[in-house]
Amino acid sequence: MTAPLANDGDQGELQPCTHSYQVNCGNCRLNSICLPLALESDDIDQLDSIIQRSKPLQKNQHLYRESDEFQSVYAVRSGTLKAYKTTDDGREQVTGFYFPGEILGMDGISNNTHASSAKALETSAICEIPFNSLEQLSSAMPSLQRHFFQLMSREITEDQQLITLLSKNSADERVAALMLSISTRNARRKLSATQFRLPMSRVDIGNYLGLTVETVSRVFSRMQKLHILRVDNKEIEILDTDSLKGMANIGE
Amino acid sequence: MNHQTRDALASDALSQAAQEAVALAQKYASQGPRYTSYPTAPQFTNDFPLDQYERWQKSKGDHQRSPLSLYVHVPFCQDICYYCACNKIVTRESGAGRRYLDHLSREIALQADHVGHHRTRPITQMHWGGGTPTYLDEAEITELMHLLASNFRLLDKDYREYSVEIDPRTIDLDRIALLKGVGFNRISLGIQDFDPKVQKAINRAQPYSLVAPLVDRIRRHSFRSLSFDLIYGLPQQSRQTMSETLAKVIALRPDRIACYNYAHLPERFLSQRAIDRMTLPQAHEKLVMQQMIGLTLADAGYLHIGMDHYVLPEDELALAQLEGRLQRNFQGYSLQMADDILGLGVSAISQLGDFYLQNERHLDAYYARIMSGDLAIARGCKLTSEDKLRRHIIMTLICQLHLDIGECREQFGVDFERHFESALTTLRRLEADHLLHIGPAEIAVTEKGRPFLRNICMPFDAYLPKPGQGIDSQAFSATI
Repeated sequence: MTAPLANDGDQGELQPCTHSYQVNCGNCRLNSICLPLALESDDIDQLDSIIQRSKPLQKNQHLYRESDEFQSVYAVRSGTLKAYKTTDDGREQVTGFYFPGEILGMDGISNNTHASSAKALETSAICEIPFNSLEQLSSAMPSLQRHFFQLMSREITEDQQLITLLSKNSADERVAALMLSISTRNARRKLSATQFRLPMSRVDIGNYLGLTVETVSRVFSRMQKLHILRVDNKEIEILDTDSLKGMANIGE
Repeated sequence: MNHQTRDALASDALSQAAQEAVALAQKYASQGPRYTSYPTAPQFTNDFPLDQYERWQKSKGDHQRSPLSLYVHVPFCQDICYYCACNKIVTRESGAGRRYLDHLSREIALQADHVGHHRTRPITQMHWGGGTPTYLDEAEITELMHLLASNFRLLDKDYREYSVEIDPRTIDLDRIALLKGVGFNRISLGIQDFDPKVQKAINRAQPYSLVAPLVDRIRRHSFRSLSFDLIYGLPQQSRQTMSETLAKVIALRPDRIACYNYAHLPERFLSQRAIDRMTLPQAHEKLVMQQMIGLTLADAGYLHIGMDHYVLPEDELALAQLEGRLQRNFQGYSLQMADDILGLGVSAISQLGDFYLQNERHLDAYYARIMSGDLAIARGCKLTSEDKLRRHIIMTLICQLHLDIGECREQFGVDFERHFESALTTLRRLEADHLLHIGPAEIAVTEKGRPFLRNICMPFDAYLPKPGQGIDSQAFSATI
């Protein structure tokens, strides 16, 4: 894996551009992630015509809730969201985090209602892609529909792989796997793979990984002692990617 | 039977017990249906009362609300397996899957209204079969599941049974995560045989080294159940190759194993002509292999639920059999969750109320019917009350291994002994060989009789020629 280096303060640069809802697919800097296909500019305009961009979500605002009818998928333009389910005894179970360029809402696909709720962890701008309009548009642009299902299948695959990884492995492996996952996803959108700010709390991390907050903190301390990570509250720096991979037990 | 018997089977000299088992099998070897439906598919005709079916489907009743099972047929295969007698199309033409989905989506929308009653009926079971469902690529699989989910009421409950057949050669490990993610919780792998020579002779090269990591990945993704399909009677097979294949199967420990008896009918199935008749195991050797499968799997802890289907004792099917919740239909054995099955796609068969319906069997005809805005139903059959009685008897024997005669009498108002006098006479001969027990209140299949379920059911089949009239040897595969 290569780690493209980003300028310092790239977070600051990203926000003015992507929070704006005047942005369209043609000039969005994330379109190489959302739309990694060679669309003609006319086609991009057509796609643009169905995408709904509303005001950014504020922290803790919901994008959709569990059992809502599946009508759209959503692309994160800026900010971070978390998806969670409510267990039978009313507890929250975090099922995923979504970063800019990533698509969420696909958990609705296999029963036509959302299997989880999604809420913003910070101010987040979202592109809504209504599925019905997409299907209509697709008769005129067959490659578009195909592209979206490809994109969805990739997201579904990655989600499942992470879920499996997290459910089977030790605390060290789980934390290391999450750090690597965030690093890889940063690299995909041309941000630093080794330096990032965690947008979620330790409580959310623990909940997601099925670990207590204390265990998460202990693992972070251990990783610091081993000079694998530098941890400063929410700021993370990966010092030794190979050791981190070793810890996550991911064979390359 | 024990290790000794099994070892005796694997060696050339058979022990006396093994010889007796083989002799019994030899005595009852004949042609007969597998009873995935009754009446069986050869009884379906194109002049069945479709209008009556449509009237019933529109009428008010439980069938508008009750759970429904979906079968989705994907007919394509990348390569031809010489033994195969399924309805399939061998092609690598790009866009074949796309074109099929475009038609299937129209059928799904129509049938969702007709049979699904606008997302009222919960889909408790779903099965994708073929052909090769994994011929479809990732995007197409995702799209097909989306199509089904937006037209039918799919469930996200744990108890749902959503299964897919996998050809190990068509799938990379990541695809397993996708199948889990789109909602499948059961997988069935077409293994057939692990021996390289056998695999070559059937044109299906999939070494153990390909299958083992796949099984590992399936386990990691916590699928509820993994099933293997095996075939005996294939070219180049012998008791030695079978012994090695079984050892590998047991090492991978699937929850369910379905063994099929290969029927060599090159006159009916073109691809079987590629198999050299001289490389097929002799009838006697085949019987030895069948005995060996049963004994080896029993030693390994598997239960024989019937019709060459074996399951681990903790598998739901084993429990369901004890509790009388097992059913048999076109997908083999499953839990009794829905009475009705809706088949979607070319050649798919539906079982709806008192009707069996089959779609057009050729792709062009299927496409033409769909494009005309129609359903693609081509043949079918409406069960008479006599059919329903016989279906009840046959399916109960196959699933529960015993039949409550009193219940039959009550439910169908029939004088059992008189009505089935000739069937009972035939069965008494099987009783003499301890294959079943006929009492005043019930018919019970013995442990020894389980491999002979077809023979036990055939006397109740009104559509088979009467003994002595002979049976068309082309129509069915061998009973055991």
